[in-house]
Amino acid sequence: MCTNESSDGCLLQAVVVKTTTWFDEHLTEDNQEYMRKSMAQEYRRQTVDKLNPLKDEPWQRHDWTQGSRRVGLVAVKLGMAPVWTKAGERHVVTMLQVQDCHVIRHLSKEEYNGHTAVLVVGGKNVSPFHRSEEQMEMFRNAGVPPKHKVTTFKVSDNAVIKPGTPLYAAHFRPGQYVDVTAKSIGKGFQGVMKRYGFKGQPATHGQTKTHRRPGASGPGGDPAKVFKGKKMPGMMGNIFVTAYGLKIWRVNTKYNVLYVNGSVPGHRNCVLKIRDTVLPTRSSTLLSPPFPTYFTEEEGDLDEDLYDDNLFIHTDPSLTLT
Amino acid sequence: MAACAKGLDKCMFSLRLLRSPRLQNERFLSTSLGRLAPKEPSKFTPPPKPVVIDKTQTVAAQRKFLSPEFIPPRQRTDPFKFVIERKDMIRRRKVLDIPEFYAGSILAVTMADPNASGKINRFVGICIQRGGKGLGATFVLRNIIDNQGVEICYELYSPRIQKIDVLKLERRLDDNLMYLRDALTEYSTVDPDMNPVPFSLTEEVPVNKMKVRMRPKPWSKRWERPKYNVQGIRFDLALTPEKMEHAQKWAQPWREYDMLKEYDTAQLEEQILSEVQQAMSK
Repeated sequence: MCTNESSDGCLLQAVVVKTTTWFDEHLTEDNQEYMRKSMAQEYRRQTVDKLNPLKDEPWQRHDWTQGSRRVGLVAVKLGMAPVWTKAGERHVVTMLQVQDCHVIRHLSKEEYNGHTAVLVVGGKNVSPFHRSEEQMEMFRNAGVPPKHKVTTFKVSDNAVIKPGTPLYAAHFRPGQYVDVTAKSIGKGFQGVMKRYGFKGQPATHGQTKTHRRPGASGPGGDPAKVFKGKKMPGMMGNIFVTAYGLKIWRVNTKYNVLYVNGSVPGHRNCVLKIRDTVLPTRSSTLLSPPFPTYFTEEEGDLDEDLYDDNLFIHTDPSLTLT
Repeated sequence: MAACAKGLDKCMFSLRLLRSPRLQNERFLSTSLGRLAPKEPSKFTPPPKPVVIDKTQTVAAQRKFLSPEFIPPRQRTDPFKFVIERKDMIRRRKVLDIPEFYAGSILAVTMADPNASGKINRFVGICIQRGGKGLGATFVLRNIIDNQGVEICYELYSPRIQKIDVLKLERRLDDNLMYLRDALTEYSTVDPDMNPVPFSLTEEVPVNKMKVRMRPKPWSKRWERPKYNVQGIRFDLALTPEKMEHAQKWAQPWREYDMLKEYDTAQLEEQILSEVQQAMSK
């Protein structure tokens, strides 16, 4: 509502009518059904089209050089399961499924920050009815259904991929190390004991109303202030956390599932970002993974399950430790 | 097929009889005689039902038993995760035969152990608990060796397990026999050189309605409380009726009416059972 004073002194009010609504408020039930079905069909067609290499010419593929970085993937956390090595040791793995991962945009060095080129990748299809027009424009340019999570991966110039290419779990190979970033589970407003692991105060021996409080907040008269960054109660969780150096034990190429060592931030069915490790002692130079990514048409058929050398496969006979 | 072929034979035989001239004359006589002395109509007896013996299915497969670790827990997990986990479980089951057993059965487990002599370790015990779901399913075996109670928790799908034998298949009144820790030692002792008790797969699993005598209190857990729902203890020898009534204070009678806590697994079980049986028979 904006008020303008006109020349003769009376106030003119321009009333802005809000037109935001959800997509099916004014549609009949049949039309709502039709919209949903047509969208779903459209996306299936788009994903299938992208699999056909003859449709578009892919970009030039370069070879791997020392110091080149390749894209990562966007996956969904399914759950955890135990896994055994050939020596009989038990480890736990998290299963991450790569659902509908596509490259959406390419921003060159100059467009992005002047140092590195960037590939914008999205994962896990979602309905278009709750996305804004600007986002939908981006997806339409790539010819890809709208995605739940859209992230950027810093990439070297020789690893750029054409927007619209699908990315699969076989992009990573067993034995490789990855970093997984996701939003940790939100715990809400938490006290200092849960948030930072403070010891609190004793339960008895005369403590008056002080059992979980932070206690002292700093030195004393000399600074005469509380330093910035002092650990105090506040919102905990729901921030992006990265787990570094996780080993990939197994890759299922049929269902696009990665078995990643240990636990990963985020709740079940949350969307995560996976990329090659940044840690220098665990870099994947020894393994020669597919560069810039794994293309189904070019690399041909892989086995349904790719296992790490040390992993015990369930079809093998029981272990005899000698 | 056999039944109708037999019927056809009878039919042919009777037709041949009718065609013979001697009988034809007699037939007229017999029918007239029949009219003179009316008999009550004979009661219709249906032909005996043919017994179908399906020899294609093995006796073991006919037994409809789904191991409890196949049933997924009530969670917000994607069912697809359970599907891939089940595939791995079936792969392992095709290599290692995991028999049917319950809490209360006596098992012998042979496991590969780097610290044992001959690298193999055989333990016999009574199964007191079956826990976990999916690949991490476990069972706890208890036995008393040299006056020392020993409990070992084994993972069903661990590759170190080489053999699982069921020496005695039976059930008890409870699913969880942790109270044997506070019971007299005779109830937890199992002879390590015990011979396997034969069990035919077509019968139902027998329920051992034994009630166990306990050591004097204090126990490791207050087994008389209704949350443990223990049927297999002789409380009349261990506690007075007043104490039993006092324990009922911790009862939560509203729990059985709580609809949000309901988890009906009947349909899921059927579906998973058929899936598992199909996959195992391949």
